[in-house]
Amino acid sequence: MSAFEPKIITFLCNWCSYVAADAAGVSRFMQQTNVRVIRVFCSGMVDPSYVIKAFDGGADGVLVGGCFPGDCHYISGNIKAMRRAPLLAKLLNELGVEKERFRLEWIAASDSALYARVVNEMCDTIRRLGPFTMRRKAG
Amino acid sequence: MNRKSKKKFAVFAGTGCRACEKAILDIHYQVHSLSPWTDIVFWPYVLGSRWEDLDDDVGIDVCFFIGAIRTSEERKAARRLREKAGILVACGACAAYGGLPGLDNLSYAECGRVESEPEDSDLIPSVPSIESRVSSLSQIVAVDFVIPGCPPTQNLLWAAMQALICGPESLTKLSYTVARLPENISRAITAGILPPNGSVFAGEKAVCASCSRLKEEKKFKTVIRPYQKYEESGRCLLEQGLVCLGISTREGCGGICTAVGQPCRGCFGKPEGVYDPGAKMVSAISSTFESESAQEIETMVDAFEDLTGTFYRYTLPSQCSLMSKPQEE
Repeated sequence: MSAFEPKIITFLCNWCSYVAADAAGVSRFMQQTNVRVIRVFCSGMVDPSYVIKAFDGGADGVLVGGCFPGDCHYISGNIKAMRRAPLLAKLLNELGVEKERFRLEWIAASDSALYARVVNEMCDTIRRLGPFTMRRKAG
Repeated sequence: MNRKSKKKFAVFAGTGCRACEKAILDIHYQVHSLSPWTDIVFWPYVLGSRWEDLDDDVGIDVCFFIGAIRTSEERKAARRLREKAGILVACGACAAYGGLPGLDNLSYAECGRVESEPEDSDLIPSVPSIESRVSSLSQIVAVDFVIPGCPPTQNLLWAAMQALICGPESLTKLSYTVARLPENISRAITAGILPPNGSVFAGEKAVCASCSRLKEEKKFKTVIRPYQKYEESGRCLLEQGLVCLGISTREGCGGICTAVGQPCRGCFGKPEGVYDPGAKMVSAISSTFESESAQEIETMVDAFEDLTGTFYRYTLPSQCSLMSKPQEE
């Protein structure tokens, strides 16, 4: 067993994914404890710079959770998140962040089992990948 | 004016293309008009100066450092000039942010030491060793002022030279350029005192603020690269599918590239309010996608080439938060 424990920052939308995360605890689903949850009002407000700042600040993975398309409390916030994700993932990939480290997931409020599964999956994958090291060349 | 009170001025260039030095020479052939205020004591490119010319008793009042730092010699030069100069100015995008040579930091390959074995090292100069990483000036030594641009626009360059060299006798305090600088800088210049340390001789907002194009609702269908044909309608270039970095770039240039239909390349670096220029551009571009289908968006994204080289074209070593490193001293 390696000593490495990943740090995963999750941005969860107030109306669906955060509720699911809450319910996952109440329902006693087993979850790994590597995630740090940040509650945001909508996945559409997660600016790409939040994600980059998370990696810059030492995160090994970032998960953005939103409502299913069509279910957004603010009508189309999650569509904005969806438009942003592929381009951001491409930029991150070029900067040396493996694609498994950044995920956008739709997690409905009632689907706490899915939340627990996504978190566990992500923890396992990133534990295998190892810590995120920046491509900063030594000075 | 008494010759002794003349300020000593130096210009040194590291890795770069010499366009900044030419920009200084090219300021409407005005450089000679500085002669009542300054002596140029060191400028290898123009005067053929050597390091020996900078004896211990020769001080420098104002030094313009141009170009990125890529070799051990340039690092030494930066340290030496910092020690000697009262005011050290990072002039041009390379010195200020790393510039185009900074894109070398993207390559994994380490540059091996270029070794040469001269028989008589005094006669045959050896090649300085190349550092593993290109740095901006501020990552090596403390920098007092920054003049961004590739090369810096003449009005800003001239305003900075007048403000730093002529001081209270400067004629720039009347100039239009000064009125366009941020309030704290323009007030200082008008009052004939030095602007606050660390000032950037450029605007505060994004290039879009001074771009003359018509900005309407932005919708992005396919990405167009600058060499491809597009309709010149006077509308915002980003709206038409060109990757224009105006949104994530500091103003001050007056939108000269966008005015002639060239998308902004970002040579002024990011404005204060932007955390990371790449993230800002991802946000700006993706918010103009119209599609609601994940697959269509994927296809659109595939059409973009080299995001890092585009978004951080001039700023990779210092402003890309995932690739830059903290200042050393």
